[in-house]
Amino acid sequence: MSHPRLLNACAAMLRRDLTLAWRRRGDIAMPVLYALIVTMLFPFALGPEDTLLQRIAGGVVLVTVLLAMLLALDAMFSSDIEDGSLEQLVLAPQPLALMLGMKILAHWLTTALPLIVIAPLLAAMLHLPGAVIPVLLLALLLATPLLSLLGAVLVALTAGTRRSGMLLALMLLPLCVPAVIFAAGAVAAAQQGLPWLAPIAWLGAALVLAVVLAPLACAAALRIALDA
Amino acid sequence: MTAAPTAVPLLEARALSFLRQDEPVFAPLDFQLHAGELALVEGDNGSGKTTLLRILAGLLHVGEGELNWRGAPLQRDTCAGEILFLGHQLGLKADLSPCENLHIAAGLFGCRDGVNVISVLAEIGLGGYEDEPVRRLSAGQKKRAALARLLLLPATLWLLDEPYANLDRIGIALVNQLLETHTAAGGAALVTSHGAVSFHGGEPRHIRMHA
Repeated sequence: MSHPRLLNACAAMLRRDLTLAWRRRGDIAMPVLYALIVTMLFPFALGPEDTLLQRIAGGVVLVTVLLAMLLALDAMFSSDIEDGSLEQLVLAPQPLALMLGMKILAHWLTTALPLIVIAPLLAAMLHLPGAVIPVLLLALLLATPLLSLLGAVLVALTAGTRRSGMLLALMLLPLCVPAVIFAAGAVAAAQQGLPWLAPIAWLGAALVLAVVLAPLACAAALRIALDA
Repeated sequence: MTAAPTAVPLLEARALSFLRQDEPVFAPLDFQLHAGELALVEGDNGSGKTTLLRILAGLLHVGEGELNWRGAPLQRDTCAGEILFLGHQLGLKADLSPCENLHIAAGLFGCRDGVNVISVLAEIGLGGYEDEPVRRLSAGQKKRAALARLLLLPATLWLLDEPYANLDRIGIALVNQLLETHTAAGGAALVTSHGAVSFHGGEPRHIRMHA
């Protein structure tokens, strides 16, 4: 009897979610298209003045990317609950928090990473100076996993309730605010030539905290959701 | 039944019941299950058969009474991987093939010696459908794909909720055969079923449920 190794289990989970996402490639494209369309509409609505667009560019890109991520958030556990995969996952002799961490990682890879890849394009459409783009990318690289992790906890908490989408948006809003403030603060500071490391460090600290705690909270919430 | 019942039962319930909104779902249950035994859970619709199986799997908490696993109170950490639960929801991803689904299960639960995903699928009667998405299989074939986990994963206690549903006569005989081999090898199983079970390994124990 070969014992299930932790590394194999993690790899199996990650491969499973990535394969599933690949089989439904259209769903990955949707947040990207959404972000593209929203960013494209801003110059039309506000007029093509460089100075105005430059000033708002960082904030617009950040908010658009974070909102686009929310589109795919509430589907994170719903299909697993419906088809009974989650029961099997809970019963497996593996640490549930770690397995859910893999799911969250897969979610980040399939939703946030494509958005980060097109972020320079979005920023360029709004005339964000090229020198600021690395800071924007760094802010996104820290803010998006933070949002994935916090979002996963809330999705797990609302799992099993019908039409949880609205509730989820309401609960997530106050949690995204700090991430948006720090990320946008870093971009604004870089744009004005000020030191931008402090807000980035705050984002990093919040991310480290979330990486440790969010999967544990997710696991507890889903156990409760199944125990009803 | 080849394995002689040992002194300590594999699973023991004493006055076990489950409360839903302070209402008991079923009357208190007492039973013991030893290694090598098969128990048939009987009861009308809504008498709590599925609830009982979900409690034994560790998905629901014990309401009142005691539930012991090898003599000690059942805890998820100690018995994880030893109990295999197959519910109404089959736990298969519709977009993945039976082969991929089983690879995930093996990754999470481990794998028996001397079997692999392909051999197990051939044995369960899904040879030739290994790479077809589960979405395109018939209800009976989906059930077989889920039952293939019984052959693949190492587990001592099987909790099977309606394993005969959707299966044809060959499939039903196959499930009976699986149960026989499993109990002969010292495993135990709890099965809920409405259909007739023709179990050749001896008279199964009956657990009667009352709402």
